[in-house]
This record gives sequence, C-alpha cells and structure tokens, in this order.
Amino acid sequence: MLFNSFEFLLFFPIVAILYYLTTPKYRWVFLLVASYYFYMNWQPIYAILIFTSTLVTYLCALKIDSTLVQSRKKAYLTASLIINLGILFLFKYYNFFNDSIFGLLNDWGIRMTLPNFDLLLPVGISFYTFQAVGYTIDVYRGDIKSEKHFGIYALFVSFFPQLVAGPIERAVNLLPQFKETKIFNYQQAVQGIKLMIWGYFMKIVVADRLAIYVNSVYGVPEYHSAITLIIATIFFAFQIYCDFAGYSNIAIGCAKIMGFDLMTNFRRPYFAQSCAEFWSRWHISLSTWFKDYVYIPLGGNRVGTSKNYRNILITFLVSGLWHGANWTYVIWGGLNGFYQVIFKILGISPKRKKEGGRFNLVYIGNLLLTFILISFSWIFFRANSFSDAIIVIERMVTAPGGLFIGEKSSFAYSLFAIIVLMLKDAYDEFYPDGNLFFTSKVRTIRYLSYSIIIVIILLLGVFDGGQFIYFQF
Amino acid sequence: MKKFVLHCIIGLIIVFILDFGIGKGLEYFYFKQTSGFQHRTTYSIEQTNEDILVFGSSRANHHYKTDVFEKKLNSTFYNTGRDGNFIFYQTAILRSVLKRYKPKLILYDFAGKFSYDEGDYDRLSSLLPYYKHHPEIRNIVDLRSPYEPFKNVSGIYPYNSTIGNIVIGNVNIEGMRTKANKGYVPLFGEWKEPIALYDTVKPYEADENKITVFKEFLDLCKQNKIPMIVVVSPIFYNYESDYSIALCKKLCDEKKVPFFDFTRNTDFLKAPYLFDDISHLNDDGATLFSDKVVDLVKGKLKNQ
Repeated sequence: MLFNSFEFLLFFPIVAILYYLTTPKYRWVFLLVASYYFYMNWQPIYAILIFTSTLVTYLCALKIDSTLVQSRKKAYLTASLIINLGILFLFKYYNFFNDSIFGLLNDWGIRMTLPNFDLLLPVGISFYTFQAVGYTIDVYRGDIKSEKHFGIYALFVSFFPQLVAGPIERAVNLLPQFKETKIFNYQQAVQGIKLMIWGYFMKIVVADRLAIYVNSVYGVPEYHSAITLIIATIFFAFQIYCDFAGYSNIAIGCAKIMGFDLMTNFRRPYFAQSCAEFWSRWHISLSTWFKDYVYIPLGGNRVGTSKNYRNILITFLVSGLWHGANWTYVIWGGLNGFYQVIFKILGISPKRKKEGGRFNLVYIGNLLLTFILISFSWIFFRANSFSDAIIVIERMVTAPGGLFIGEKSSFAYSLFAIIVLMLKDAYDEFYPDGNLFFTSKVRTIRYLSYSIIIVIILLLGVFDGGQFIYFQF
Repeated sequence: MKKFVLHCIIGLIIVFILDFGIGKGLEYFYFKQTSGFQHRTTYSIEQTNEDILVFGSSRANHHYKTDVFEKKLNSTFYNTGRDGNFIFYQTAILRSVLKRYKPKLILYDFAGKFSYDEGDYDRLSSLLPYYKHHPEIRNIVDLRSPYEPFKNVSGIYPYNSTIGNIVIGNVNIEGMRTKANKGYVPLFGEWKEPIALYDTVKPYEADENKITVFKEFLDLCKQNKIPMIVVVSPIFYNYESDYSIALCKKLCDEKKVPFFDFTRNTDFLKAPYLFDDISHLNDDGATLFSDKVVDLVKGKLKNQ
C-alpha cells in the first residue's frame, strides 16, 4: 500500500480512529496487525522475512543480555548479523555479486558460473533489516536492555509508518513509546496533519512531476543536449529530495497523529554549505546509523589522518551499496566519500551558519558549490547504467543544441513546484521563528495556507506517479 | 479530541469550498476552449455530426487528412484521433457519438498493443472532465481504479494537470498550437535516417479488458449498421512479425470487419521523406496515405 494511494487515505484514518478507540493495553496488538496488513498488501509471502528478522534479532538480543560471557555475547551478535545480512544479501545482492565476480573471472579466462535467483526484492528490506540489526548491536554494546515482550518488539520492527522507507529508528527512541499509554494530543495531531500535507505536496506535486521530465531525458541521454542534461540532473536533485523527504514527512506525520515521535530525517539539505553538512541534513536516520555502526567502530576520526580518510571512504562506499546492487550506487557513494576527504585535505570546512543567519555572498557560493557537487554525484544515482552516466557527463560538456521542454505545461508545473518548495524551505531555513502563512499566528491564514496546498495537490499533482524511489532500497 | 475533530471539519469545509469553486471555474473554461486536443475531445464527444469519423491515437490524428476525404468522397469528415490514447478512449468516444447520431462510415486506425500496460489505464484521465455528464463512458473510466466514482466527487480532480492547456485553449495565442483541420493535425518534419529492423513482437498474454473493449467497438458498429474499416497505417521500419497486428486482424476476421495493413506498403517503406518520425507520416505522407484509404472506402461503399 503506497502512501500516495487512495487505499492509504482510507486505511490511515480508520487505523488512527480505531487505535484511539482500542483499550490502551491492547493497542500494540492492533498496530501490529495493521502494520502486517499494510506490508502484506505488496507481497504477502514476504511478511515471513520480516517475521524471521524479528524473531532472530529478538532471540539473539535476549541471549546476549542473559549471558555474562563476552565470547558468547559476540557469538549471538554474529549469528544475528549473519542471518539478517545473509537474507539481505540473498535477496538484494546475490545476483549482483554473482554477475560481477564471475564476469570478472570470465574476463581473465576462468569460466565459472552460479545460477542467478529470480527473486523479487522485498519492499523496504534494507530499512527494517538495519533497524533490527541496530537494535541487536545496541543490546550487545549495553546501550539498551533487550526487549522481553515479543509483540512490542515485533511492532518496533514492523511499525507501518516507517516500515518500508524509514526513518530507520533506534530502539532507544521508539521501543519505550510503544509501552506508553498514548493520550490524544491536539498539538501533536495537528503537527502530524501539517507534515502529511506537506509530504504529499513534496511527493505528488514536486517529485512525481519532475520525474516525467527526468525519465524522458535519462531514458535516452544520447539524444539530449548539454543544457537538457543539466536541467534534468537539477530536476532529479529535487525529485529525489522530494520523493524521499515527502515519504519521511508523511511517515512522521502519521506516527505523530497516533502519538509517536519519529526522528527527523531531512532538514532542508540543499541549504547545506558543505558536503559534510549536506550529510547531516540528508537521510539523517541512515547517516547516523552508518556513523554509529560503521564509521565509529572503524575508528572514526580518533585515528590517524589517513585512517580517518579510509574510514570515511569505506562508510560512504557501504552506504552506496546499501542503496542498490549496482556499481552506479557504489560510485555515487564513493564520490560522496571522496568529496568529504578532499574538503578535509584542502581544509575547506565552512562552519554551518546558525539558522536564521545572514544571507551573504560567501554563503551563496558555498551553497551553490555544494549543490553542484551533490547534483553531479546524483548522475550516477539516476543513470540506468555506468555507461549511461558517462554519456550524460560527456554530453554535458560537448553536446550542443537547445533545451528539450517536452510537454510545455508539465515543464511549467515543474518550475512552479520547485519555486514553491524552495520558498518554503528558504523561509524555514532563514526565519525559523517567522509567522507567515503556515506558521501564522492567525488561525484563518494557517487554514487557508494548508487548504491552498491541498488545492495545488489536486490541481497539479501527478496521481499516477506510483512508487517512492526509496522503496527499491 | 473534540477540538481536533471540529478543526478537521472546518479544514475540510474550506477545502470543499475551494475545490467546488475552482472546479466550477475550471469546468467553465475547459469547455470554452476553442483549440487544442482537449477541445477536439469535447467536440468528438459532444458535437460531431460528420459523415465519416476516424478513430485512433496520434497515428490516426496525423495520418487521415480531412481535405482529401471531404473532396474525394464528397462527405463531411472528422478526425477524433488523440495522442497517446488507445482502445479504451476510442470506444468511450464511440459510445458518446452513438448516443447522438450514426455516422455513415467509421475508420479505425489500429495502433498500440493488446498487452497490459498501466499507462493505457492512466491515460484514461483524458476522459475525466466528461465523467459527470456522460454516464455512458463511466465504466470505461472506472477501469483506472475502483475509486474513480469517489475521486470524481472532487471538482478539481477531473481537471488535474490541465490548467496550462485550458489557459492556452482559451486565450488562443497565435502560433502556440499547430492549427487542426477538423481534428487532423499535420506534421511537417522530414525523416532523414535509413530504415531500421525492429524486434519481432512475440505472442503475449492479452489484457482481457482491451480485448473486450475492442470487440465492443466492432460490435457497436455492427449493431448500428455502420460500415467500418480497420486500418494499420504506414510505419517506417521493418519487422519480422507483430503479434498485436496479427491479433487485431484475427479479431476483425471473427467479426467480419475489413482489415487493411499498410505497414508493409513499399510506397512508404521506400520513402523516409514521407515521415515525420518512424511512427508518424508528415503532411505529404498523410496526403498520399489518405488517397489510398479513400480508394478503399470507395470500394467498401460500392460493396454495401
């Protein structure tokens, strides 16, 4: 069930109402059933994978907690990691590594093959696997106690708002919330609805609209001019942002209406003044996951300079691979790691302006440079193959010709959508305490502002846009 | 909780009022358009009264030249073809036409595939503005999703993503659109590339909805005793075989509807200069092709 489907617009209000009508003691049962129903709308059989992941991490965490012998703790952790990451590998990476390794051997004259599996990638497998694995590591480290209640833990892994595309929650934040008796909170519910409306705007009006242009250009990059490819790449930068941040806003909004606080996942990333800052604003739940469970265990920045650079590169390469079983994602990750290292070597580390800080030329320069570098890396993320990415880059500097517009009205809607998005983001960035439109002190203006956003969604939204990009991860 | 519900209701009322008001405005200006593909769809559904009607997609729209048919057959003619719209759209238009009158001849230009394609269902959005006032097309539009009756309660939804075209269709800015002649929109490009060999379209599992709706189109013509010809117009590529065309021919044979395939016609396969792109004839190509179709039509009318 997609957040942007009519089914979800029926499903969610019913779930939210029934949730508050259910006796607090049994609310977890209701949410667990609703979450599995939500997930089983895609491929019912794949609910077995979530259940397996839940059961394995639950049992291993209990065992880790109950033993005092460090080697046994480690053995249970290892077992949990092998089983969970093994499932992830089988469904997501097996064919990729099979093709890559045996393709390489074949080039060296060694002919060996293993059969590929024709498996459909389970929706959200990378998200819930990382959430469950993170929990086991937290228990192993002693950061949290293992959860004894299997039902509550199962809900932590499968909580429907964030099940298929995050935010990847931490047990320390989310697990205790399932044990609290949630009393309806007006402010929180209103905040949730506002987030959902803005999330829908980002997804349906901006991301899906831009996707029409981006898909038509990136589908055949060899036929397009430099200016067209540059515009398509800029459009993709906004598309991927709004697709994913839109999903996150809807997820956080849904959870808020039911009284749960999920972590912020995006903080206006294109206002970052450096690539390092970008990653503190983009997919925050994943960035911090990699920081806590990969970068710091590798030594983080508490090691020598060269090892620190190595750690950064490894973390970003793994992050790239997490996004997809394709070399283009690995290159995308590597490129982002490379930016960080280069910036460190050159000593370029603009201190982030305080929110509401002054708007000046240095700020604009840093902002544009960061946007250009990040957008360049998106080429590898979006291109259908490595060779397509090279064609895009090559033609960006060599291909003459005018700008391909496609359907004029759709192109105009795309520009309008980006302008509205950036105006709101800029206002939130520079005037966080401002009170215009959405944050007006006059209730009527607030109502009208959100009503107009709903009207724009109805008027210019792409209702046949389909899936969220991050579902495939 | 009460306060929240109350505020939600107030919010919904504001949205409802805006949706109703803006929806009414969009409806007014949508049907006031005097040019463009939306205007042509409105004309096809609500105003056609011509002797000969052409049904099809962009290939029909750019291939059947009004002047040729009107002069040589001494009949009135209208081209209802619309870019990117296939069998569902065409059958919906025919249903609306038959509610008003019976044309003397129908030419059906076959393009597309009978396989399932989500996009073909999505493109039924082009019929949404007619959903409220044309009950005859509703069950075709409902193929998009079972929720269409609920979605169409909204005033704005039927006009989603149409505002730009509505503006142009009303202000009629000179030169913004190629002028159509009774539905026919000419193309003036000239294809320069040599002919290519395209992949064979192998047998596939047909979408039952498409088969049913295509058969309905043929049956409606039969039941209303309207002479009909199915034509596959020229293309500029070679292919071994095409299951879609073979299936279309089979269905026409079953219903005893004349079927003519121009995709192998050498007059066109040798002449890239008659094409705008590999799937669409330019105006010169359309003139030649329309001439050939006129000959078919004359034969057909003689045999009636």
